[in-house]
Amino acid sequence: MLLPRKRRRGSHANRRTRRVGLLFAAPGLLLYAAVVLWPLLQSLQYSFYKWDGFSSATWVGFQNYVNFFTDPVLRSTLGNVLVLLVFFAILPIALGLLSAAMITSSNRRGMAVFRWIFFLPQVLTSVVIALIFKRMYAPEGPINEALRAVGLGELAQNWLGDFTWALPAVGLIGTWVTFGFCMVLFIAGASSISPELYEAARMDGAGPVREFFAVTLPGLRGQLAVALTLTITAALRAFDLIWITTRGGPGTSTLTPAVALYKAAFVNPNVGQAAAIGVVMAILCLVIALVITRISEKE
Amino acid sequence: MYSKKTRLAAVAIGSMAALALTACAPAASTPGPAAPTSVSDDVAAAGDVTLKLSDFWTSAEEEWIVSLIDQFEEKYPNVTIDRTREDWGQLTSTLNLQLQDEGGPDIASANNGWSSLGTLAKAGLVLNLDAYADLYDWNDSVPTTIARQNQFTTDFATIGEGSWFATPPARASLIGIYYNAAKLKELGIEAPATLDELESAAAAAKDAGEIPFSYSGLDGNTAALLGLQSLYGAEADINDFVYGDPDVKAEDTGLTDAATTLEDWNHKGWLTPDFEGIDYQTSLADFLDGDGVFRFDYTGALGLSGDQLDQFGYIQLPQAADDTTVGVGAAPGAMVISAKAEHPDVAAAFLDFLMSEDASQTAVDLGLVPMLNEVTIPDVLSQSGEAAATATLDADDGYVPYFDWASPTMLDILTQNTQLLLAGKTTPEDLTAAVDADRDAFLAQ
Repeated sequence: MLLPRKRRRGSHANRRTRRVGLLFAAPGLLLYAAVVLWPLLQSLQYSFYKWDGFSSATWVGFQNYVNFFTDPVLRSTLGNVLVLLVFFAILPIALGLLSAAMITSSNRRGMAVFRWIFFLPQVLTSVVIALIFKRMYAPEGPINEALRAVGLGELAQNWLGDFTWALPAVGLIGTWVTFGFCMVLFIAGASSISPELYEAARMDGAGPVREFFAVTLPGLRGQLAVALTLTITAALRAFDLIWITTRGGPGTSTLTPAVALYKAAFVNPNVGQAAAIGVVMAILCLVIALVITRISEKE
Repeated sequence: MYSKKTRLAAVAIGSMAALALTACAPAASTPGPAAPTSVSDDVAAAGDVTLKLSDFWTSAEEEWIVSLIDQFEEKYPNVTIDRTREDWGQLTSTLNLQLQDEGGPDIASANNGWSSLGTLAKAGLVLNLDAYADLYDWNDSVPTTIARQNQFTTDFATIGEGSWFATPPARASLIGIYYNAAKLKELGIEAPATLDELESAAAAAKDAGEIPFSYSGLDGNTAALLGLQSLYGAEADINDFVYGDPDVKAEDTGLTDAATTLEDWNHKGWLTPDFEGIDYQTSLADFLDGDGVFRFDYTGALGLSGDQLDQFGYIQLPQAADDTTVGVGAAPGAMVISAKAEHPDVAAAFLDFLMSEDASQTAVDLGLVPMLNEVTIPDVLSQSGEAAATATLDADDGYVPYFDWASPTMLDILTQNTQLLLAGKTTPEDLTAAVDADRDAFLAQ
């Protein structure tokens, strides 16, 4: 055991400083315990009960968790999240890397405007974004009108009302929302990569593609980890965009765990089920964050 | 490092186990309060009383309750009613907490069914009103099909019979068919009086290039399906199904016929084009602007005012098989008295006043749909249709509850399956089976 020996060596004064420090942190810690830890434990407790939020609760053990993975509708939300992962995480990160590579390799004028446009979704609330897209996707909305105008009327769809298209359509909103964030993150990261590395790569005869994979990508390891963690958890938590655009429909084709959780907690009183969904989501988010940090910190 | 992690895990697992094994259930079970036994209708003798009222009514409905409060206070100067308006979702989701609070409301409007009223009654948060029902003779003055919507057995296993736990205000919310009067005139058609006439009118409208039925599907739409159901199902069967009689199956309630008809209308192109991508509010606004000849909707949802009251008519069709009239209809809220109310007698007198003839007349004067009493109807198209509908339903005792009260998840099931049906991904029979499966799972609990 390493730590105890170190501790033992710590002087009396040292221990006192630690105690004083704890004293200063105490109000914050207490507040944190009261508003985060306690409700967290309570949710954990609720998840083992069948409870309507009003009357007495009955102990059901792991039934709520079993439901989440066996009930066809609840289970389908996990499949939907996997699709959303492509749109919320993979696509924006790929696009973000691409634009970062383009911007760092050629510092053209006007790039600030480009960045500004794509960062815009970050300063809009998701409700506004969802409402804008709901209009754009409408049967007579700008997207279908544009398709008809260029003679592609065949491709016009009921984007949000179609069983095939609704999930990708909602996913693309997520792409637009997270893309700007990824791009800005990667541009910032790329600008801190030492120019000598690029020079060295060029001396070795690397083209822009080779340069990207040999220098830019490894240099962005930390930023990639942050982007992955935030976008994957955003996909898992997807609620607002979906609630406003489709409410999980048509059928259950855009239902996510977060929407199912909201319905169970506030629409159809089944607090235990909602808590179980919440706990599973929290654990998934935690595991994903841990795995990503682990991998990115290796070497 | 390793040991610290293990320790953390041990603590986590330990606290989970401790919580799981030793902690008591989230809410302690409390037996319902005894129903008041010595009751009085002597409000004037109660001394100075202030009652707190919480409700979720806005616009014309708000004018209605405010006006009734004024009338009641004028009648009984010793009573003050202190009203708070809350958002519908806010009130229904927090009423359990409000009623547990010492300073909470004495009277509140709750939502019918298990999701709100049932659980409040079961948790003993609202008074059993049987003694007042006897005192004020509600069992005779309220149609049974409406009274049932406020009743539970005292073991709280059954909804739709037993004791009174809430009262309906003298206003109704129905599902019926609105029509655009000018369009019908252009087509040279009288307002249809039977389902067959409605269908031939729709066919004629389609031929003339009009949209026969204004419809939306994006955020779910159950009004058309439930409106059609009441043309096929018997009043008793729909009531029994919703109130949990296991012998009645969804098939018996006319649901399959309703779904088949709706599917058929969709195939004939009678619904708004691209309705799958249109949300409720947009299609409603389009209907008011003249897109569509007919529209199934809830009374009050159109928010008609001024000239519009004469531009749109309302029909409650008789059943397909004979000429009895069945209609989805309920009071737009269940009025409850808190178990903590200090003056239940005064509160009950106010609830009785909300069911009075004055209350019905005030409703119709404000453009709302009256219920329970004979009223003088303003000479405008929509309101005379709506009032005629409630008069028929009052007389036939033909009200059926909103079908989604059958289980807490029924609204989702109906919404999802209607979307599947109209996308050709399920059949009317499978829709009915899904409805049965959902209710059976709920009843089995």
